[in-house]
Amino acid sequence: MVTRINIGPVHPSTHGVLRLVADVDGDTVVNLEPHIGFLHRGVEKLVETRMYMQNPPYMEKLDYIAPMSYDDAYVATVEKAMGVEVKERAMWVRTVLLELQRIASHLLWLGTMANDVGQFFTVFMWAFTDRDMVMRLLEEASGARMFYVNMRIGGLIRDLPPGFGEKAGEVLAYIEKRIKKYENFLEKDPLFTERMKGIGVLSRERAIELGVTGPVLRGSGVGYDVRKNNAYYVYDKLNFRPQTRSDGDCFARYKVRMLEMAESIRLVREALAKMPEGDALGMPIKLILPSAKNRMVSLSRETPRGECLMYMVADSQKPYRLSIRAPTFINLAAMPEISRGCRTADIFAISGSLDLVMGDVDR
Amino acid sequence: MKIERSELGKKAGELKAQGYSYLVKITAVDYEKYIEVVYMLRNLSENRDETLEVDVDPADAWVPTVIREFPAADWYEREMFEMFGIEIKGREARRLLLEKWNGKPAPLRKNFVWNAPYETSD
Repeated sequence: MVTRINIGPVHPSTHGVLRLVADVDGDTVVNLEPHIGFLHRGVEKLVETRMYMQNPPYMEKLDYIAPMSYDDAYVATVEKAMGVEVKERAMWVRTVLLELQRIASHLLWLGTMANDVGQFFTVFMWAFTDRDMVMRLLEEASGARMFYVNMRIGGLIRDLPPGFGEKAGEVLAYIEKRIKKYENFLEKDPLFTERMKGIGVLSRERAIELGVTGPVLRGSGVGYDVRKNNAYYVYDKLNFRPQTRSDGDCFARYKVRMLEMAESIRLVREALAKMPEGDALGMPIKLILPSAKNRMVSLSRETPRGECLMYMVADSQKPYRLSIRAPTFINLAAMPEISRGCRTADIFAISGSLDLVMGDVDR
Repeated sequence: MKIERSELGKKAGELKAQGYSYLVKITAVDYEKYIEVVYMLRNLSENRDETLEVDVDPADAWVPTVIREFPAADWYEREMFEMFGIEIKGREARRLLLEKWNGKPAPLRKNFVWNAPYETSD
């Protein structure tokens, strides 16, 4: 007999409010329907009423776990519409900051994911402490702890502070050790592995058909990464390899993110070593005016959660239309299919492995 | 690539057969005289993107569904119906996705008035 149960609206390790309605037969999920929209703020409409550089703070509040990646995606879209080249050093600095942001975001995900599958609060506290070290680095570079708003047209609001390289080196060496510790701790723990391995399997073919993105896509064996396939900034000058796993289960998605953190650490080190001297400052805000009216631009960025695509129709003062392809929106849309046939308790393992941020889903 | 509304299903099927099997996004832009519906497709093995653009009349806004070719279209189409009032023909009607908003005009249309009283229903 099929019973319909309501879960939520809750605030699981998804950062925001999600309601799930599950049809269960005994303990097996027959169907699942996510109800979203609790955090819908109409950002796409809102940006149409604001001038270009009034918008980055709104963009950052979409994905508040990795604000800088959205900030960057938006500013880069405006730059593309204006036809402005980013300064050479600014590209290197942005790459460093974005990869640090990725590490911070994945650390938060790791803590909450471990919580979701019953590894309560040990990893959570560890990961949050480590994340704060990365955030302190970002604070030194931008001046704000969480919402940075440090991208400017053509560059940044400020260059990296003196001594940033050494400090970042110390923090990264520490985090690198910690990642090994997390892997040892979690992968030897049956409490964690048994709730991750073989749960929520998404095949390669279905992953492509359902349009999932980011670590979810790469966890299903598709090696698509915007940083590689459509390289921006200096990713093509760095030795970067997209991380993939072929199993397509929750554990594969976990492993992809762990490997990505290690890869990000390598990228930051390499970028800091190769970074040229020069000017990284962006233009003052008053100078901003896209040259072409009704010019259509679209631009992809690999945020920690997947591919964020911004489709903008530019007007002279304000965006005429800005459409955002939120990576978690489409990952959540695939959740009913991933969850079908799993146990009720695994719903949260699956939602955790998708790394949902509801602000990003609802926009 | 600009195409007619009537060829959308055929063209989508053709592109899928050519390897454009990954749907990146469906979105729409209201240019007031017409609404442009944009389908962004990707060929993952050749790393190429293709865009299909369909113009529809704002007073008679509908497009045929592409959900059979691209299952990923499900939520995008529902979002577009809710936010642009573009009806999706050929698929079952589903619950509104984001705002439960069925007032007129749809929120992302350009003739939508800010702060005006609208009725919402669940």
